Amino acid sequence: MMSATPKKEYPQVLLANRHPDRIATLEEYRSSGGYRALADTLGAGPQDSLKETIAAAVLLGRGGAAFPAGVKLKTVADDAPFPRFLICNADEMEPGTFKDRVLIHADPHQLIEGMALTAYMASAEKGIIFIRPEYESAARILEREVGIAREAGYLGENILDSGFSFDIDVHRSGGRYICGEVTAQINALMGKRPNPAQPPPYPTEKGLWGLPTVVNNVETLCCVPHILRNGADWFQSLALTESGAGTKLYGVSGRVNRPGCFELPIGIPLSEIIEDYAGGMRDGRRFKACLPGGASTGFLPVEHYHIAMDFDSLKSVGNRLGTAAIMVFDETDCLVAATWNLLEFFARESCGWCTPCREGFPYLRDLLWRIENGQGEPEMIGALRELCRDMSYAYCAFSPGGIAPVESLLDLYEEEIVAHIEGKGCPFRKRS
Amino acid sequence: MPTLTIDNRRIEVPEGTKVIEAAEALGIMIPRFCYHRALGSVGACRVCAVKIVDGTRKGVQMSCMLDVEEGMVVSTDDPEAVAMRRHVIEWLMLHHPHDCPVCDEGGHCLLQDMTVSGGHGLRRYLGNKRTHLDQYLGPRIQHEMNRCIQCYRCVRYYREFSGYRDLGVTGIGNRVYFGREREGTLENPFSGNLIDICPTGVFTDKPARYFGRRWDLQRGPSVCIHCSLGCSVTVGARYREVARVEARYAKAVNGHFICDRGRWGFPYTNEASRPRAARVDGEATTVGEACAAARNRLLHVAETAGSEAVACLGSERAGLETLKAVAGICRANGWADPLFWLERRARENVAAAVSLLGDDLVLSLRELEAADCVLVFGADPLGEAPMAALALRQARRQGAPVFVFDPRPVELPLDFHHVPLAIEDLPECIRSLVGAAGDRETARGADPTVRSFTDQLAEPSVPPPPEAVAALRTSRRPAVVCGTDVTDAAAIGLAADFAALMKAQGRRAGLFYLMPGANGFGAALAGTEAASLEELLPRIEGGEIRALVAVEADPLGLYPDRGRIEAAMRKLDLLVVLDYLDTDSAAAADVFLPSTTVFETGGTWINQEGRIQIVRGAHRGGIPVSQTGGGGHPPRVFMEEVPGGQAAASGQTLTRLSPAEVKGASEWVRLPPDTDKQSGTRAVLPDPSALRFAPERTALSGAAGDEAMLTVIAVDRTFGTEVLSSRSPWLSAEETAPTVWMHPEEAGRVPLSDGDLLEIDAGGGSLVLPVKIVENMARRTLVIPRHRDAAWQRLGATRLRIERDCIRKAQPVGENAPVKESPPR
Amino acid sequence: MLPADLREKLERTIETADHPRELAVDVMMALQEHYGHLSDEAVAEAAQLLDMSEVEIDELATFYTFIYREPVGRYVIHVCDSLICWMDGYEKLRDHLARKLNIAMGGTTDDGLFTLLPVCCVGYCDRSPAMLVNRRVHGNLTPEKVDAILDGLRESARSADETSSG
Ligand SMILES: Cc1cc2nc3c(=O)[nH]c(=O)nc-3n(C[C@H](O)[C@H](O)[C@H](O)COP(=O)(O)O)c2cc1C
Ligand code: SF4
Ligand code: FES
Repeated sequence: MMSATPKKEYPQVLLANRHPDRIATLEEYRSSGGYRALADTLGAGPQDSLKETIAAAVLLGRGGAAFPAGVKLKTVADDAPFPRFLICNADEMEPGTFKDRVLIHADPHQLIEGMALTAYMASAEKGIIFIRPEYESAARILEREVGIAREAGYLGENILDSGFSFDIDVHRSGGRYICGEVTAQINALMGKRPNPAQPPPYPTEKGLWGLPTVVNNVETLCCVPHILRNGADWFQSLALTESGAGTKLYGVSGRVNRPGCFELPIGIPLSEIIEDYAGGMRDGRRFKACLPGGASTGFLPVEHYHIAMDFDSLKSVGNRLGTAAIMVFDETDCLVAATWNLLEFFARESCGWCTPCREGFPYLRDLLWRIENGQGEPEMIGALRELCRDMSYAYCAFSPGGIAPVESLLDLYEEEIVAHIEGKGCPFRKRS
Repeated sequence: MPTLTIDNRRIEVPEGTKVIEAAEALGIMIPRFCYHRALGSVGACRVCAVKIVDGTRKGVQMSCMLDVEEGMVVSTDDPEAVAMRRHVIEWLMLHHPHDCPVCDEGGHCLLQDMTVSGGHGLRRYLGNKRTHLDQYLGPRIQHEMNRCIQCYRCVRYYREFSGYRDLGVTGIGNRVYFGREREGTLENPFSGNLIDICPTGVFTDKPARYFGRRWDLQRGPSVCIHCSLGCSVTVGARYREVARVEARYAKAVNGHFICDRGRWGFPYTNEASRPRAARVDGEATTVGEACAAARNRLLHVAETAGSEAVACLGSERAGLETLKAVAGICRANGWADPLFWLERRARENVAAAVSLLGDDLVLSLRELEAADCVLVFGADPLGEAPMAALALRQARRQGAPVFVFDPRPVELPLDFHHVPLAIEDLPECIRSLVGAAGDRETARGADPTVRSFTDQLAEPSVPPPPEAVAALRTSRRPAVVCGTDVTDAAAIGLAADFAALMKAQGRRAGLFYLMPGANGFGAALAGTEAASLEELLPRIEGGEIRALVAVEADPLGLYPDRGRIEAAMRKLDLLVVLDYLDTDSAAAADVFLPSTTVFETGGTWINQEGRIQIVRGAHRGGIPVSQTGGGGHPPRVFMEEVPGGQAAASGQTLTRLSPAEVKGASEWVRLPPDTDKQSGTRAVLPDPSALRFAPERTALSGAAGDEAMLTVIAVDRTFGTEVLSSRSPWLSAEETAPTVWMHPEEAGRVPLSDGDLLEIDAGGGSLVLPVKIVENMARRTLVIPRHRDAAWQRLGATRLRIERDCIRKAQPVGENAPVKESPPR
Repeated sequence: MLPADLREKLERTIETADHPRELAVDVMMALQEHYGHLSDEAVAEAAQLLDMSEVEIDELATFYTFIYREPVGRYVIHVCDSLICWMDGYEKLRDHLARKLNIAMGGTTDDGLFTLLPVCCVGYCDRSPAMLVNRRVHGNLTPEKVDAILDGLRESARSADETSSG
């Protein structure tokens, strides 16, 4: 399944300053147009028109939930109390996802400028980068570059003489997937147990320390300077599909020759990503399926191999773009076993707050383990379905995300499950 | 007020009501684990699923998390919702042990109910059960973590609601653990509520374990008589023994909870040493014989020395029936005026509070929670009336600042401002705050007492703290809380004036007094002409009074001058004691008559807000089977007598020993016609005007400033001082060894360091106690707990002033255990 | 006992924070760095520094993956067992490590040098299979690479011990 057309060149926006082994310096960022948006907008125009631009650009949140960033900014009421906070979500614990790591290592000032601009729009005076502990090197880079930005006058008191003050702290997490969920993250930052808190109130109304708080993903924030500099239309034009906007970092892993993170337009066909950028399938095997956006999305079967990778197209086939972390499986991979592995993750990471998630994931894991290991019974399929249905009524989005692969396994690969049960074991396992 | 439809029935409920609450109002109990009315909704357990057929958010939703909407249509029996709820129960049972037959929660376990009603009977899950180790949490609460269903009620109650920090939830996922950092007794004096609030058997009542299923117990509604708040409780007894006390929901008083003093204070009723038989001159006899003997001897005293030579003493721990009987017997026989108080200050203080507590000012405990600013004068809520501390915490959680003006090192489970002033400065301090309460002119039109009060305002000598001034300025619902234990009538009067003044300014101000005993209010009403023993004592000492009848009162054990009271008792020709406790006075009695406790015969109590609460006995009483023992239960031979069953309510016994004809005790209590006897919680303020006690509002101005003098106050503590609960073996571990508290500056002047012994020469002799130096208390003040081991009865009074040279450092001598006097006879 | 300079440093940071609690994870990490793991003593110290109760500290400590409430080796090896690494040979890697170190998952070597633990996806799926050593990532692992890493760690432990004792 090699595509006939040669590899296309797409504009590099977020990764324009990417170097193989080092980060881009402040100078490099500046000479590529960096901090110009900040200089041009701070204090110049009304914040409302800036928010309008973000809204018009239809910048959908890159953290997985695809919430429009412009709408989120507008939910901070004009008369909301101060101080206000901006949190950069660099927790990135969705299995398969590593794009934020790449972004920070490539061009940290892009994130810093994005944060400063977003903070300006929300009138936030304190920024916090919440970063997972595995990314210690990224945390150190950020701490250093924040200091450099501060010295250069892009952060701190009275930024560029605009009267606007904003500074950034780097907060290292203790490490848990749920800390990536906004409300749990806010609890974590307050030194509480990182259990989520169901809105209302929304964080933009009552977040960190009960004050208005905007939380955005690293990639979302990185898009902001470019949008403000080049306009909403430009951002929209980057995408290949009508409903999409911007470029996207696709992290490809699994059974491909060249796993990696690639900046490509929203709406690019999946097949093109795999073949032209990720080096095609490994060992000449065939594409069987992928998880298109991290562990919290369903399996995308081979029928959709050419699907346009944007939010709407994936939605139309009952899937999600999620974090655009594409995990690829070939025809020798057992999806029952893969799902069991994912459930191991979800069962281990469930925060323990609500019943469906806390008890449901270990239950699902147990059933899939039995099916995979020859202890499956026909009635387990019904049990899996029931579990998924009722686990969708969990407290936060963790559980609905975690059951997505299971549900798609049941919907698309039921015959594989049946084969496991009838054959008393995994048909994919090489018998030795 | 939105109207919605639940299961085809319409109901209108206030905005902000949750669907689960609206359903409950219709009598539909949607299953719940994490939701609790006192703790609110958190949406953790997911068992309250319903189907929203019509509304903004349709489909299966959690009814505890969803606000009602106009036109909403809810189905609780939709198959999808039922399936979800059933699934939640299955999940919760994955790891729950099948130990119901030996679990003390069995029979009143919410999880058991849900499992049965949800129809979950077959285990599908093939995996193992996750297990935990339990912790030792002290003598009162048993921990069984395997039974936990992770509803988080315990930590939410313990930390958020009650404000203690030594219980938490550790771990993650399906290994979350609810417990302490390490084994040890829970520090929360309200920890017992964990037992009631846990929907399963994780926290059970340890002393009551393995004694009987809830349905085996003779259970009945009762009130707690361990302080003046009168919280509602349910008592459960079996085998002639009270087994456990649980909190009973009372909307206006304690809500869902009680304190540990109230929950585990009951062992006095089961004590092996409880006197069950009547005694005449130390010889056991029948109650009939003893009544006859008492009657004859009383008659003899009256005939030889005049009827005025007989006095009768009740106490604030007795029920209203008993107190009225005391007053009635005195009147019918022409005896001296009835006595209800040991000290004159106590009598005056309670009379002042009762006479000033008007219908328009009085706050219930629940209303206190709704205050937006609370000023506490001369009270230590946790020590004197623990649930009041919990109410203050709720007010604080809603944002109300709390100010405590008290000389003691007051501790509360909330952040509050403590002004540790000398008790003598309190009236002046209250006066000074009036200026802060705002516009004085508008109050001029108010009632005369308020007017005279504001007219008196001179420059205050004690400046009010600025935070309090600021808080008062903006407060719409200020509450004044005032103690009657260490204060005096002047402060009590000013507190009422202050509240009245704020009321006159158009605020919803309220007044909340704490009082001694469970029935101080009743005592004040029953004995409108009463005196105190202190006032009568000269007449005993002078030989005028020759006989004393003490009814549920213990002058020997509790009068603050032990030497003097012993000498006075020796002068008597006759001491008759009616009680259910083996007090010092009971031991010294010429005639002793056993009486019954609230658990056996009930009674009427009036709490500190004037709420009349009528309760019945829950069991017949008698010597517990565990004490008659020897396999004698069930009895092999039919007996009409219950072992130890001769005791009767002391009011009734009183009528039998009265020489003059008196009415039956129950008829003495005339309740307002609308008193609801069934619920026993009807709020009625008895007419306080009968008292007509107008306290002087003058203070001992400047007294506290006298460098040569010290003030000694003997005070109540949460555990160990209250007469009944201090007999509980399960609470004794929580009593801190008695010490005398003093400010570092005072200690420095002696000089003393922490733990040194201090000798105090006071009105009633000298006592030696170890010193505890604390910063957060008044200077020139010594605070001593009225603990049985503190020899506080040598002080001479519960509040007194002594010369500074009456205290000195004492050397530890051999065995320095404080001397406990033995009864004189 | 916490060395005075570390205590002072932490106290100074806490003083500048608007809300001491927000530093809970940082303080726990710093104490863990010092003690090797978050011992009971460290929990008590963290509680005292942050004006929290011990169980409030433990509530957080037991939630997070990278806070160790039990003693661990000088080098904590976290082997990623999530999907991609698992597909790319996690089990072999684990078995290799277990054999080399002669411990099972969760164990610590007798010389106190290594602790072996599984961990969720560490965000290096492009370099699978991956593992962390004291939170530093090593990717594209092969048995040979693992051996070299272990040798390097042993060597650096030895030289560190020599300089500290010498
Ligand atoms: C269980 C869970 C984990 C999440 N983890 C992350 C994460 O690691 N990084 C992230 O940016 N968003 C994560 N999210 C999504 C966030 O809740 C949120 O939508 C996002 O940070 C908002 O930023 P955005 O609008 O810029 O995407 C997670 C959500 C859930 C439910
Ligand atoms: S211990 Fe009881 S109250 Fe606490 S969470 Fe577990 S089941 Fe609920
Ligand atoms: S699955 Fe191992 S690093 Fe992502």
